[in-house]
Amino acid sequence: MIKIAFRNIFRQKRRTVLTALAMIVGFTLSSVFIGWSDGAYSDIISMFTRNRIGHIQVHHTGYLDKPSLYDVIDSYESIGEKIAGVEGVEAWTPRIYSAGLGSVGDKTMGVQIIGVDVGREVRATRFDQKITSGAIFSETAAREAILGVGLARILKADVGGKIVLVTQGTDGAIANDLYTIIGIAESGDKATDRMACYLHIDDAQDLLVLDGRVHEIAVLVEVLDRVPSITAEIEARLNDVTLEVSPWQVVAKSFYRAMQADRQGDLIGRMIIMLIVAIGVLNTVLMSVLERTREYGVLKAMGTKPRQIFGVVVIEVAFIALGSIVIGALFGASLNHLLSIYGISLPQEFSYGGIVFQTMYAAVTVRSLVIPAVTVLVSAILVSLFPAIRAARIAPAAAMRAH
Amino acid sequence: MAPVIATEEVTKVYSGDGVPVHALRGIDLIIERGEFTALVGPSGSGKTTFLNIISGLDTPTDGKVWLNGKFLSRMSGNALSDFRRDNIGFVFQAYNLIPVLTVEENIEYIMLLQKVPKSERHERVLAILEEVGLSGMASRNPPQLSGGQQQRVAIARAMVSQPAIILADEPTANLDSKIGAELLDMMYQLNTQTGMTFIFSTHDPMVMSRARRLIMLKDGQIERDEVRSP
Repeated sequence: MIKIAFRNIFRQKRRTVLTALAMIVGFTLSSVFIGWSDGAYSDIISMFTRNRIGHIQVHHTGYLDKPSLYDVIDSYESIGEKIAGVEGVEAWTPRIYSAGLGSVGDKTMGVQIIGVDVGREVRATRFDQKITSGAIFSETAAREAILGVGLARILKADVGGKIVLVTQGTDGAIANDLYTIIGIAESGDKATDRMACYLHIDDAQDLLVLDGRVHEIAVLVEVLDRVPSITAEIEARLNDVTLEVSPWQVVAKSFYRAMQADRQGDLIGRMIIMLIVAIGVLNTVLMSVLERTREYGVLKAMGTKPRQIFGVVVIEVAFIALGSIVIGALFGASLNHLLSIYGISLPQEFSYGGIVFQTMYAAVTVRSLVIPAVTVLVSAILVSLFPAIRAARIAPAAAMRAH
Repeated sequence: MAPVIATEEVTKVYSGDGVPVHALRGIDLIIERGEFTALVGPSGSGKTTFLNIISGLDTPTDGKVWLNGKFLSRMSGNALSDFRRDNIGFVFQAYNLIPVLTVEENIEYIMLLQKVPKSERHERVLAILEEVGLSGMASRNPPQLSGGQQQRVAIARAMVSQPAIILADEPTANLDSKIGAELLDMMYQLNTQTGMTFIFSTHDPMVMSRARRLIMLKDGQIERDEVRSP
């Protein structure tokens, strides 16, 4: 049966080529669709996590759900050392967060005070590259502040000016101090840039009376796909119920959900492509079954069972699908590879999760080959079921009268 | 000796366009093992319908059919397939070889379904090819053969598994008289040598003249049943 199915492929070469072309085009389109989507999302995730939140965050238990000045991490240096020892961790950086008021001249605005360890923050999130004017913090605390670009605009602040910050310390008292504005930073997220007032970690601890404690440790990993396993490994190493280790998908739930929803949209696009392919394949397979009615009748007359006739039709389609998958994979991977190098410049830049994109790049991923392969094979076989059942049910006496 | 085919009151009615067409009207027939029988009659007399029914390719509207001692009406689709595979060889007017298979593969097809070992299949194919005068053509494809050669392959395919009955539907209709005569001689000889039962449906006077039994059908009924001396 396999021999007959295989040789049948070469009987009507033009029809086989047309059927294969439908599958190859479907595979290639689907592969580029996925590669493009994977590349774009990978860029978005990479920029979102690397620039801002990190891949994994460690907090005091409950802090992520309800941030509080008092939910702090003690001995963050030793925790950081443990984290650094986990294979695949690239960098870690501690952070302090508090809300307050910032005044420049006669203008006052609600601000988010963010205390950063300058050396670690530069290594982890390339903080130095976000400074659009002025300079980054000195190694030692010197009552310096860096304002988000939006906040600076609202407060009409500039490098060299002074800002007064008013907040509440962990001792319950009102805390305030005067800082020199040494730089303006642009994170790429407009909401953050309208509120952010960065301080040296020592200054922030001093202002908030935190005595060497922090609110967050952000962790960067070498390979994004390893985030779940590294999260688990950090959790195991810390083994501390007062600490919560969360991957970026939990930290930025709404961002993650929005991306997942977008991917559902991709699925619909892929299904439409495959539906068009399936209709084309169904048409040609039905034609060939109709043409071979007499032959199937003869095979049945000689004692071939209906399920064997069914097998001949399905195996023939499966052979064509497998060949098409190989060719489609070559085309799909090549196109994705080219698009991953050269990308496509968008006529108009767009923003996702506060990050602005001008050029989109594809990626050659396992998904971009496996999903179209499975889709083409399954849809081709599904589509061949109807003609195969028809062929299996052929009445031999009537079939042999057919021409 | 038990009959190889027995029918009792076999009737076949087609209901094309709502108008019933009586193809067979109560055929009672017994065919003994080793017969060389021709079913003759004008077009539409019911010859092919009768062949289809006695081979289990079609079902009668009414009546009973026994083939090689088995009551066909009680058999399921798969059991009928197996029964045809093991008991009946078909020779068709249009040869009906599988074009994507070589001569050898066409001939061994039924043995393959019967799960005969490869070496035995090969030996039997070579032997039958010699018998039908096609030695050296095992690897050819059907389209490379003449009509007469294709019909020889079809006969070889029908006989190679040594079925009890060979049913041949107008086997000489597409052949010129010389080749038709050669093939008929060949089948006659095989019938004599092996004792296989041959049943032909035919218009061909040459086939009629060689048949040892002539069953004349007219309007779905047996008009005459004549046994001739060899």
